[in-house]
Amino acid sequence: MKEWNEYPDGWVWLGQILLVGAGIAAVVLLVRLLWRVATPYLAERPALDRPLGIAGGVVAIIGALLPWVTFVLNDGPYPDKATLQFFDSPWALSGFRLHTLIIGVLAIAVVFLPLPRRRVLRALGWGSIGIALVNILFPIIDGGGFGAITSDGESFAFGGIATLIAAVLLVFAAKAGGVLEPIPHWKSAVPTLVAYAVLVVSFVVLLLVVAMLLNSGGQGGVGNPYAGPIFLSLLAFLAGVLGALHAIGLTTWISALSDKHKWFSVIVLLVVALALPFTEAGTDYWMTTAANIGVYAATAIGLNIVVGLAGLLDLGYVAFLGIGAFVAANFSGAAAAAVGIELPFVVAALIAAVVAGIFGAVVGSPTLRVRGDYLAIVTLAFGEIFKKAAQNNIGGLTGGANAIPNVPPVSAFGQPFDQPLTIGSVELPSGVLYYVLIIVLVALVMVVFANLKNARIGRAWIAIREDEDAARAMGIKTGQAKILAFLIGAMLAGLAGAVFAHKTSTVAYDSFQFIESVTLLAAVILGGMGSIPGAVLGAALLLVLPEKLREFADYRLMLFGLALVLIMRFRPQGLVPDRHRRAELANEGAEGVPIEELNVHDDTPGDSKAVTR
Amino acid sequence: MATLLQQLINGLVLGGLIALIALGYTMVYGIIQLINFAHGEVFMVGGFASLATYRYFLPPSWRSDWWLALPLMAIGGAVVAVVLAVVMERFAYRPLRNAPRLAPLITALGVSVILKEVVRLGYPGATAPVPFPRAFVDQQYRFEFFDGTVSIGSTAILMIVVSIIGAIVLQTYISRSRMGRAMRATAQDPDTARLMGVNPNRTIVLTFTIGGALAGLAGVLYGIHITNVDTEVGFLYGIFAFTAAVLGGVGSIKGAVIGGFAIGLIKTLSGQYFPGGTQYDLVWIFVLLIVVLVFRPQGLFGEPERVRA
Repeated sequence: MKEWNEYPDGWVWLGQILLVGAGIAAVVLLVRLLWRVATPYLAERPALDRPLGIAGGVVAIIGALLPWVTFVLNDGPYPDKATLQFFDSPWALSGFRLHTLIIGVLAIAVVFLPLPRRRVLRALGWGSIGIALVNILFPIIDGGGFGAITSDGESFAFGGIATLIAAVLLVFAAKAGGVLEPIPHWKSAVPTLVAYAVLVVSFVVLLLVVAMLLNSGGQGGVGNPYAGPIFLSLLAFLAGVLGALHAIGLTTWISALSDKHKWFSVIVLLVVALALPFTEAGTDYWMTTAANIGVYAATAIGLNIVVGLAGLLDLGYVAFLGIGAFVAANFSGAAAAAVGIELPFVVAALIAAVVAGIFGAVVGSPTLRVRGDYLAIVTLAFGEIFKKAAQNNIGGLTGGANAIPNVPPVSAFGQPFDQPLTIGSVELPSGVLYYVLIIVLVALVMVVFANLKNARIGRAWIAIREDEDAARAMGIKTGQAKILAFLIGAMLAGLAGAVFAHKTSTVAYDSFQFIESVTLLAAVILGGMGSIPGAVLGAALLLVLPEKLREFADYRLMLFGLALVLIMRFRPQGLVPDRHRRAELANEGAEGVPIEELNVHDDTPGDSKAVTR
Repeated sequence: MATLLQQLINGLVLGGLIALIALGYTMVYGIIQLINFAHGEVFMVGGFASLATYRYFLPPSWRSDWWLALPLMAIGGAVVAVVLAVVMERFAYRPLRNAPRLAPLITALGVSVILKEVVRLGYPGATAPVPFPRAFVDQQYRFEFFDGTVSIGSTAILMIVVSIIGAIVLQTYISRSRMGRAMRATAQDPDTARLMGVNPNRTIVLTFTIGGALAGLAGVLYGIHITNVDTEVGFLYGIFAFTAAVLGGVGSIKGAVIGGFAIGLIKTLSGQYFPGGTQYDLVWIFVLLIVVLVFRPQGLFGEPERVRA
């Protein structure tokens, strides 16, 4: 135990905490005050949108050209770490300064074009707020206080400040007149070939954007602490641009086209996903990460059946992933397996799915009597029982604290899946076969989900979610339907678990803790309950962000918790809302979050309605 | 026989702790039908706050006198826990009062994760269990009983006494005082209570305050009894306390206390006598939780659940 003197004086510390708290509160109050004053003022003056938009655009361009503190990579500590970039070569802008310039130019252009300019300006404004905040806050927090954004103690990094002002101007321009214009409707009756071309182009662009995002700033970690901010800044820019595209009706049009040519888009999407290894993101590292994302995405889609469709909160869901993994590991021929037989992967995966499904039905059976949040606690209890049982090596099946190590990789045609693959002269990174396997799995799970959702049982689930008593009165066998939801959801998780076992090669009980269930739940809620692209997007964000923000790895869980609270407060329908839920939870309170428009590859029908506000 | 008695005593001590936490659960659930998942973390934060009071705020010369140090630590822990509970109510739960029912539960989950992580990262050395000072008379009383020796520590006695006194005071307050009547009225029917001149927000804040204070107190008692605190205990004891509240009947003070003692006894006795031993004692509690929820969701002393949309 340390002595008294080794600790800081509590009162000093308390004072600092209070001071920081007061500072944050003051900033929040100031922003709210500004907002409260400006909004009604602007609402009565619709003519202000053009001048404000032009001003915002001009200031953004100036901001892009002014000096910034950037993440120019000089090794070593501050002040060498944060380098001031001066306006020495206006035509050689790159990175976020280029993005800011593009936003400025777009903002000025849109003012003079016959487009819904306020909507576009709003999206661009929030995008540049993101860029400015990321690029101002990171040097301050990471580089050593406010000193980090002044150079030599003299000149000041005005670029960030100017961009922030520009962003505020743009957002206020959108507030002029009080209401936003309607999103223009583009005719979706175009020749089939044109539609195909548009779909191919959009999906290819999507692929390239994803690859660019994954590679932006390089891989995170100790050697490169700047990967995170660069990634976040790019994310903010892309979100702003996507929001602008949504505002002019483009994404809605594409999504309507993909609804119309559903099978074609599914095939293109599959091909595009399989093409990721051939892009710049085709490295060992990203293939492995993408495969992890796939496992989680498949599990999250399974959870989405239970939580999103049937409205039954499950807090122990990761147990089914674990059951699937342990079953597959036991049939894999690993030395520590309790079962001596080695089954082909496909058979083992099916057994894993069935076993997990049976457990799912067992866990779901209390739904016959228990409702709502009590049910959530029951599922949590089951999850904990699973963990405890696995930890204590129940029946010798789980290896306990020793886990089941050395699960052999899946192999087909004599090619183990964890080795690099050479086709002709093209050398593909190792892990690419797992990536392909996972893509196939996720596609399969998506097809199952989409079909179930629009089938009789899916509609029954949604009816139960909305009002169980009414559903029962309408003749739905609610008990059967709810247990079926648990069973199918658990089967999908079990399937994912089988892949997980072979891919990670070690199956240990501590991969299946309560916090993993929370992560899965966060993925479903972040993406939007009941929405397939939402679950995939949520899982991808929750796994890619930690990879990119390695230096904040400690704060990962805290940020998850914060995300849960904020989403429930401001955007309960998630980033890519399902259309039923969107109608239900329409009283949206948050501004911005333009990522909502990422659903260009949504294959559920009728997702083309605008978010009403 | 001595083993049995020893385990009974251990169970009662654990039960007293669980009962203190369960009171907060049961009151909050009774009044706004929210499973305040983060309540266990409030208990954990209370423990850390009292430790911080001892370490960083008490002048060294006061720390050796338990009659000076312990009340101040209890005050420190309880104050922080109360502030936390009230802030939580104001900023996380109140905006969601008319949201779908799952929304506040998910929020509570998020708050619980945040609190745990903030303490784990923010408190010096909290990534591992942090040793707690022996701020109370550390006396073991031993006596012979049939075939062996049974021992009970002074902290253990304190725990049982405080939890029982706390429950009695709370019960009296709720059944006799004006605010207690307001709380019962709000729990029964918030709209009618409002018509009768009860301020529901004030009543709810008071409920969170009492729950937070009891949890903070429990944190101090846990610390001096176990002689360390750990960020993990919030979740674990939160679940225990929730089980206790459900077992006793959610909304019932008496139920929470009896449920708490029952859970404590089940944990120690099943760890001693059931197959699998202490490694499976949690499993038995969870099994009990499931069985109670499925077959008697209103618990031992609760009213049958009202039909809610």
